Amino acid sequence: MKSIYGILIAGCVVIGLTACAKKQEPVVEPVVQETPVEEVAQVNTVNEDSLAALERDRLEAERLEAARRRLQEMMDRLMSEDVYFDFDRSELTAEAKELLGQVGAILNQEPRFTITVEGHTDARGTEDYNMTLGGLRSTKVKDFLSAYGIASERMETISYGKEKPKVDGNSESAYAQNRRANFRVNVK
Amino acid sequence: MNKLLTFIFSLFIATQVFAAIDTIAVDVGISVFKTMPIGVVPFSESSGEAFDWPDEKAHEVIERDLNLSGRFDVISSEKFDLVKFSRARAKFYITGRVEKALNNKIKISFYLYATQSKNLVLGETFTVSLIDSRQAAHEFVDKVIFQLWGVHGVASTKLVWVSKIDGVKQVVVADYDGFHRRQLTFDSTISMMPVWSQNNERVIFVSFRNNKPQLYIKDIATGTQKRLFKNLEQSFSPAVNPNTGEVVFSAIIDGRTDLYVGDYETQKVRRLSFLKSSQTSPSWSPNSAEILFTSDRGGTPQIYVMNSDGTDMRRMTFMGRYNERASWAPTGDRIVYTSMDEGKMNIYTCAIDGSDIVQLTSSAGNNERPSWSPDGMLITFSSDRTGTHQIYIMRRDGSNVTRITKGGENTAPTWSWYPVHKQTKNKEGRE
Repeated sequence: MKSIYGILIAGCVVIGLTACAKKQEPVVEPVVQETPVEEVAQVNTVNEDSLAALERDRLEAERLEAARRRLQEMMDRLMSEDVYFDFDRSELTAEAKELLGQVGAILNQEPRFTITVEGHTDARGTEDYNMTLGGLRSTKVKDFLSAYGIASERMETISYGKEKPKVDGNSESAYAQNRRANFRVNVK
Repeated sequence: MNKLLTFIFSLFIATQVFAAIDTIAVDVGISVFKTMPIGVVPFSESSGEAFDWPDEKAHEVIERDLNLSGRFDVISSEKFDLVKFSRARAKFYITGRVEKALNNKIKISFYLYATQSKNLVLGETFTVSLIDSRQAAHEFVDKVIFQLWGVHGVASTKLVWVSKIDGVKQVVVADYDGFHRRQLTFDSTISMMPVWSQNNERVIFVSFRNNKPQLYIKDIATGTQKRLFKNLEQSFSPAVNPNTGEVVFSAIIDGRTDLYVGDYETQKVRRLSFLKSSQTSPSWSPNSAEILFTSDRGGTPQIYVMNSDGTDMRRMTFMGRYNERASWAPTGDRIVYTSMDEGKMNIYTCAIDGSDIVQLTSSAGNNERPSWSPDGMLITFSSDRTGTHQIYIMRRDGSNVTRITKGGENTAPTWSWYPVHKQTKNKEGRE
């Protein structure tokens, strides 16, 4: 349990660090907005007493806000976690499997999430062969999560080949960070 | 036991083959082609008139064409100089004449003369706008090449490539010498891997506009476009059949990349290979009977060839751990491909049985995505040797490397086919 909190905190730090690099903001607002409207309407019809109702509304809003924050954190966490690969390989490393176990846990916990797995390569090699490699990597990730128990309808794969590097440059460390699969999350 | 013996025996054979290949000398950039010396004299301009040439004067366009063609050695001279031309063994020279015509046009005449006799061998006059005079010069050079070499030149052909515009990869088309560049795609997402349709009127390329790599076809003149082969979610690496116009390409299904052939008119698709490995970068032989492609079935990407119905697959490259993007010369005799060694990409050619390997580029950054000129004399490719990716043209032996773009990031050039009327002529010539 403690280790999960540790990971969550580490996740938050990573989110903080990578926040500016993120481009796709999750589409979470509609979900949150819909629910409170329903709840508020219900409360109003049942209980006309204003003070108690207001207090209940406030608590309800806080609860929803906390739920929203938790959802957001889970999404951010999924989107900040990259699975890394060795050069010209698509096999999952032990590290990658451990991380994917946590990803699977989040997906189990939040069945509204569907994900897109994006496969990427480093800058070496041709555009064409790297497209095939990105396809293998994204599918290896999907297959692992599938075996973990996540319905394959909830997962989509895309190969970006070498077209979307996370880090520019031709250093070994840039290459290592670009050989990855990452997640995009949608909420049903 | 028998199998094991066979295996050991085949290993032994393979080692022998490797040893044999390893001893092949690799030439770099030394020309084996004979060039023809030819004189070029600036055009005479009708007196008292100023011509506002857009990029280069007519004789400069011609000199560039002759140099790029890989067939000539240009002897420039300010005026006709019998001694200079004769010393350089230039049996012919080109010059011309420009005068103003009606409606802001010019009348431009091109002449090919025999040096000794000063007899006119070939002459042609065009009445065009100044901006189109470049095209007229290209056409005349192609006629000169046909006159002196008996084959069609490529001065009137075009290139399509990918240029980063405001940070986004877009498809651009241009004359083969890099001039008259036009942007073809205007998307906010990546466009890549452009190739020409059979009649040069349309470009087939990969677009990420649906957040997935998918094939599109776009008409150059009208801008009309449509998505191809919609039942395949992720497709790329298109190559056009030079005789039927069909498209062979790669598609990813369940993580596996395999080869498919589709007709872009009927949108019908058939699967070509059924392997557990990844197959990509297909390319047709000039007679469409065979297809070159890359497969990693042996553990590393290597070049294979098969019949165009998917049968009789055999491996072609054995040297090196990364051989990719093979393309068959229109002349049928050689194959150009990209090989990665110590993290650097370089361009090689080999005979169609994989022997006689020649390295065309070396110690100059990464050099990749070679594409043949329709006459098989030249290869265009992209290189980052200057620090940015630019488009280059070289002779098929690696000599005469000329950069045709500057600035920005330019990659993935594909040479157009001959114009349609020359396609038929050439086929008649071959048969």
